[in-house]
Amino acid sequence: MKKQRSGPRLHSLEVPLDGCTLLVPSASVAEVINMQKLAPVPFGEPWLHGAIGWRTLAVPVISIETLFGAPAMTRIDAAKIVIFYPLSGRKDWEFVAMFATAEPRPQVLDGSQPVAKSSELLDSPYIAAGLKVDGRLMLIPDFEALKKAFYPA
Amino acid sequence: MAEANQYLRLQLGGVSYLLPGGSGYTIEQRENLITNKSPEGNVAAWQSLRSTRVPAYCLDAMLRVTRHRNWHRAVFLEAIPHAVGLAVDEVQLLPRADTIITSFSPLGHPPTRQGHLFSGAWVTGNHLMLVFNPKAIVAYLQSLGDA
Repeated sequence: MKKQRSGPRLHSLEVPLDGCTLLVPSASVAEVINMQKLAPVPFGEPWLHGAIGWRTLAVPVISIETLFGAPAMTRIDAAKIVIFYPLSGRKDWEFVAMFATAEPRPQVLDGSQPVAKSSELLDSPYIAAGLKVDGRLMLIPDFEALKKAFYPA
Repeated sequence: MAEANQYLRLQLGGVSYLLPGGSGYTIEQRENLITNKSPEGNVAAWQSLRSTRVPAYCLDAMLRVTRHRNWHRAVFLEAIPHAVGLAVDEVQLLPRADTIITSFSPLGHPPTRQGHLFSGAWVTGNHLMLVFNPKAIVAYLQSLGDA
């Protein structure tokens, strides 16, 4: 019997988006909350949809589909909001949130999941790679590239 | 007179924003201003000061220029070369002890040469009000022109 390849187990979350799925480390997610009313952030980037009050903080909420260059979610009222811890090197209050179409689901990766071909990925500088998990394509965001978009010098 | 850690709540088109008290401002009643009777242009009214007149703008909730008559006061922010005004639906000086401001910065490129329009927020439960970065909101208002 062929032994399955296995490596260190990486706990991840698959975040369902409109038309694609994101795969992020579980440790990068602070909380998933129900959709709530957003405060407008006038003259923000097209992918910045507003801000929410969370705990005692104001957290900007993005549509990562828009950042990827894909059409924005059509049913924002049905979305969850995934709140990410501050990106590396950022201040401890700089949480960032994004819309998801449904509750993220845990995925344990062990290195056996095949890497997606570049031709299968969205053409976006914010996608580092893709994995095929149970035959489904999941996109891994490039957090360094996102950081440059969020906090341009 | 507002103190540096007091905040002025400005309501624009149904959304409230906060202005830090230390940024320097005066509040004028509409009847003391010269209303722009022309439907053209961005200016809602002017404050006449000796040899100059200072513009005030009506903004909607998304801070876009609008023209309506449902305002009674304008807040003039101190600036160089002259102050610049914002016509508001409501204005309220908030009690100091009630307002706890948390840091906030919008993501992405700032829309003005003075940076992002907001530099903080007042969060109460799920509700929040954004705090203007005074230099940036002045830069934005100045970019709207004097006519």
